[in-house]
Amino acid sequence: MNQKSGIIKLNDSKYPALLNKIGKDVPKQLYYKGDASLLSSDCLAVVGSRRMTTYGKQIVQKLVSQIVSNGITIVSGFMYGIDATAHKAAVDAGGRTIAVMPCGIDRVHPEYQIKLYSDILENNGLIISEYEGDAQPAYWTYPKRNRIVAGLSKAVLVIEAGEKSGSLITAHMAKKFGRKLFATPSPITSILSFGTNGLIKEGKAIMATEAEDILKFYNKKDKIICDRLSLSQNNSCDRLSLSQVIMQELQAEPTEINNLARKLNVSIPEISKLVSLMEIKGQINKENNKYYVS
Amino acid sequence: MFLKVQSATNLGLETIGVDVEVNIASKGLPVFEIVGLPAKSVDESKERVKTAILNSGLEFPAKRIIVNLAPADVPKEGSFYDLPIAAALLASVVNCRVPEDSLFFGELSLDGSLRHTKGGLLLALFAAENNVKNIFVPKDSANEAAIVKGVNVFAVESLSSLLLHLLNKSKIKPLEYKKEILDSFKVKPEFDMAEILGQEQAKRAMEIAAAGGHNILMVGSPGSGKTMLARALPGILPSLQDQESLEVTKIYSAAGRIPPGGSIIVSCPYRAPHHTISRVGLIGGGSRPKPGEVSLAHRGVLFLDEFSEYPRSVMEVLRQPMEDGKLTISRTMASVDYPARFILAASANPCPCGYLQHPKKECHCSEREIRRYKKRISGPILDRIDLHVEVPVVDIRELAETGGAEQFLEPSELIRERVIKTREVQQERFKNDNIFTNAEMKNEQIKNYCQLGKTSRQVLTAAANSFNLSARGYFKTIKTARTIADLANSENITEEHMAEALQYRFKEN
Repeated sequence: MNQKSGIIKLNDSKYPALLNKIGKDVPKQLYYKGDASLLSSDCLAVVGSRRMTTYGKQIVQKLVSQIVSNGITIVSGFMYGIDATAHKAAVDAGGRTIAVMPCGIDRVHPEYQIKLYSDILENNGLIISEYEGDAQPAYWTYPKRNRIVAGLSKAVLVIEAGEKSGSLITAHMAKKFGRKLFATPSPITSILSFGTNGLIKEGKAIMATEAEDILKFYNKKDKIICDRLSLSQNNSCDRLSLSQVIMQELQAEPTEINNLARKLNVSIPEISKLVSLMEIKGQINKENNKYYVS
Repeated sequence: MFLKVQSATNLGLETIGVDVEVNIASKGLPVFEIVGLPAKSVDESKERVKTAILNSGLEFPAKRIIVNLAPADVPKEGSFYDLPIAAALLASVVNCRVPEDSLFFGELSLDGSLRHTKGGLLLALFAAENNVKNIFVPKDSANEAAIVKGVNVFAVESLSSLLLHLLNKSKIKPLEYKKEILDSFKVKPEFDMAEILGQEQAKRAMEIAAAGGHNILMVGSPGSGKTMLARALPGILPSLQDQESLEVTKIYSAAGRIPPGGSIIVSCPYRAPHHTISRVGLIGGGSRPKPGEVSLAHRGVLFLDEFSEYPRSVMEVLRQPMEDGKLTISRTMASVDYPARFILAASANPCPCGYLQHPKKECHCSEREIRRYKKRISGPILDRIDLHVEVPVVDIRELAETGGAEQFLEPSELIRERVIKTREVQQERFKNDNIFTNAEMKNEQIKNYCQLGKTSRQVLTAAANSFNLSARGYFKTIKTARTIADLANSENITEEHMAEALQYRFKEN
């Protein structure tokens, strides 16, 4: 990798000003690879559970792609789940992203995300760590890493966090550092909702349901016009084709094929055929056994 | 006095004629010896024969008795030489002739009665091939031998009844083959499809698997009904055709798995070995290779539950039989061919703890564990499985409340009828190709029998692009679509059939 790399000391002029304000635990040096100028850009930390659900994935993809296209840098911890999805969504939308590693700067962790690692660097992203060389991650380096994630960012967005999630550590640090905290609500039946819904309920986080909520804080107007499918348009027709009905069902709730067939009272061969065709056309997607509108 | 009695020995599914030569010399010390490379079980025959003759109320000649099993350089194994040796000795004792043109085969009990002996069918087939008219087999093995036409099967109950027969006092009548026997051997499947609530897509996949002979992999959490579905699979499979029946019965006969009094096997075999099975247990083996589970599942279902738990080395031996439908086992003593054309029904959990994607329970597996778990089933094996289906957990309470969408609760018998019809279509199609089902089609046959119209080709090409289908995945989809079209009784594979077939493709993630 022919990338710029180096080290920024605490007294260096390039040292991010926001990070410098986190108190006595401020990292003494930052090792980096990639474009170090990102450190002074407008950053938003996007953190969440490793055990991401399809719902969480959809939220990340939707919010992050809109946020990065407004010039905001996404900061996250490079862990699988919400973190990795946030990095990927940023890269895919042509945005910039900073990955803060819990291990030495020369180590890719988790190692199977090497593709994402190189994608971030190739798309003018940045990888940073306060640890040098090939250092192994340890239990205590993850929360340490989280303070950098929170420290670099003006605001932190928590998407899906369980009751004892590490993302809540990041959230509480953000609060301590005086940063803005956003959280997206999750279905109250999901175990991954306790953390985020709790933050909202206790008034610690602002509820974010669309990119606009966050962009307002950064004084940016959303430039993207949402291409959301409007239900009401279809409803006006009195007779819908079966695939339109399927679309409506899936817009309300991602559903398994068996439940879909039962609900619409259609045979499995018939429904299989339709969803396959819709899938080929890219209208719907399947994940975790359930179909949802893409 | 020199007597020669014919018998035969089975090696795998092949049978070799063996001459049992008995010489009873008046001169010399009384001995009873068997020569001709007998194994322990053959050598012990001496004691069984001697005791059985004595217990039948006859005298055992105190002479120099030498038994030679010819050809003398082939190692002999098994207990079925009892009857030919005893028959020769009986003939010498009562001084009558051993019937010519006859094969003797069977194990003796000490009281002089005959025991069920494995391989009766193979012996009868050998007799028919070599124009031997009569075979004498134990009564319990006679039904099995009587399947073969053109051979007189004498069911011998005991040595005394054989003696009366030899003396022409009370003739044993050749056994007549009764078709009724067949029905009593039909196996009832454990579950009916109608008993399984929900899982409509998985049931449909089962129907396609049964109709086209496709291998199927079910992935789902514990308790979602994978095992139940697999156990219901035999219930929707057609009975075996005559040719298939014979193939299957031969294997079971060679393995000694036909019960006493049993006859031809008409129901599809269903084998479900545990995942601790060894490689030899699965494909067969031993110094004289015995058939393994894959061969016992020939023309039937091999259900491998918890597929991911099988050791890699065991799983990989499935490759060749899944591809070729047969296998050759070579060992020091012999090299044996066994057929192994089965429907592989495998089930696996989505992750080590099993609860990934479970609506109620939490999955505790890390991404890394899940990745590693998924890799346990290798690419070449996945490539040979046509149908991949997810079996999600069913909310029984909800289903019961809504009446379980009763129109989907079809009994196995109805599905089976459709499957039989589809199989007939395939039989007609492949009458010159020496295969039975769509799943067995090779690329050449796919070209011939699966011509795609413009729209169905478009669907497939679009799918190949958006789903990243591999070349093999491409052809698997065509084969599946062929079966779906056959189920719909359609000559052409249309866009609809192709689209449905794509539901069962292998999904990378």
